[in-house]
Amino acid sequence: MSGIQEDDDLVFHKICSLIEPLNEKSVKLSRETDLIADLEIDSVSVLDIVMDIEDNYDISIPVNTISEIKTIGELVDAIHAIKKEQS
Amino acid sequence: MSLFDKFQSTAVQYKALVEGVGRDPFAVSMDEMKGPTRAMVKGKEIVLAGTNNYLGLTFHDDAVAAARKALEQSGTGTTGSRFANGTYAAHRQLEIDLAKFLGYAYCVVFSTGYQANLGAISALVAPPHDVILIDADCHACIYDGCQLSGAETIRFRHNDPESLEKRLSRLSDDVNGKLVCIEGMYSMFGDTAPVKECIEVAHKHGAHVLLDEAHSFGVFGENGRGVCEADGVRDQVDFYTGTFSKSLASIGGFVASNHPELEYLRFSSRPYMFTASPSPANIAAASAALARISTDNTMRERLWENAKRVHAAFTQLGFEICAPAGPVIAVKLADRQAACKAWDFLMEKGVYVNLAIPPGTPNATSILRLSVSAAHTNDDLDAIIGAYTSLSEVLTKEAAQA
Ligand SMILES: Cc1ncc(COP(=O)(O)O)c(C=O)c1O
Repeated sequence: MSGIQEDDDLVFHKICSLIEPLNEKSVKLSRETDLIADLEIDSVSVLDIVMDIEDNYDISIPVNTISEIKTIGELVDAIHAIKKEQS
Repeated sequence: MSLFDKFQSTAVQYKALVEGVGRDPFAVSMDEMKGPTRAMVKGKEIVLAGTNNYLGLTFHDDAVAAARKALEQSGTGTTGSRFANGTYAAHRQLEIDLAKFLGYAYCVVFSTGYQANLGAISALVAPPHDVILIDADCHACIYDGCQLSGAETIRFRHNDPESLEKRLSRLSDDVNGKLVCIEGMYSMFGDTAPVKECIEVAHKHGAHVLLDEAHSFGVFGENGRGVCEADGVRDQVDFYTGTFSKSLASIGGFVASNHPELEYLRFSSRPYMFTASPSPANIAAASAALARISTDNTMRERLWENAKRVHAAFTQLGFEICAPAGPVIAVKLADRQAACKAWDFLMEKGVYVNLAIPPGTPNATSILRLSVSAAHTNDDLDAIIGAYTSLSEVLTKEAAQA
């Protein structure tokens, strides 16, 4: 597990705070957590979470990118990449 | 992992939902149709209140006679695509009639509304330099059209022109074409789009607008041309898409536009080129329905009277309704299970509505979606309101016990 990196990563924490209300089974969230397989969040709810992230960071994350993302870590990395590109 | 593993979790969920009520809301069979608003289901006559048959024309004499005549004169099917042997004179004529009715110069008919959206979006937009912006609540066929195009697709908040503008502003300078996709009336909640504001924002940023009036064609606007007519911006819509499967009481779809480039779809849109065209009877029925809509406003008036009556009754019963009075009246329930139980209760009372649950609904809501028809008689409406009255009594009692 990449615990130290998670603690340092504000994006990771932001995403976790948005996911927590939908985390009905109280799964412990890590970079490896799979949004759909582990958390059973449906595909549309994932898109809605991403919309909040977009507004929070003032970036646009294409649906095409989101559909390739499985884990929280992949989402964090995608946001970092887009933040860099769009800033 | 096997090929079929991916179905497992959904299959388990589905089974649990259906077993809870003993009747499958997604596998109802209308054993015999008694008219536009009645059917026999398992030996019992049911009032149909989830059909999208807004103007109630599926059994209209003109439409039935026209379909019968076309069937006899032109056969049961076209056995070919629009691009090959599947364009008959009637297909062309309907394109001309639709363009004229809507006030656009061009119109292309597809085999369904699904394919009209799929075909328009996937042909108009191409990677890597075009971008699509879609309202978050757009219908599956708009999402699928985006996917088929392969172009970058960005969602904006539902009915929020400001959110659209933010996303348009963020686009980089090397973006070429921009297409904004919205709907007139959204099918699940029955809420309408701020079409005028969305078009203003889109055009300000050099984007084209595709407006799907699938549910609002024939229903909104002074002449039934849709929400864009009601908003006074019909002539500013770049691509107007619609379906024959609702107010036009048939099956098929279309895209209309003032852009001459629409004609290019005929040799570049795969959902136009590689599927058989609507059958002669389907085209004839849609043409007859269009003729009716063009000359008779009373159906629309009746639809709105019915919608207002049902909406007022449900409001009084204390239901949480997702939109102001209109042809779709969606009632919010606590969750999937509660909605499924309520759906079954209404069936038991002889009323069919649509059960809609996440992820097929906005904001993960579970709803009973009712669509009003101009063909609903006062008896039909009494039955519908009566069934919902009983439902509200049960729900109130349950809430008191909880
Ligand atoms: C908004 C919207 N667009 C398009 C369609 C597709 O129409 P059709 O039934 O002709 O494929 C529907 C209907 O399901 C719809 O709700």
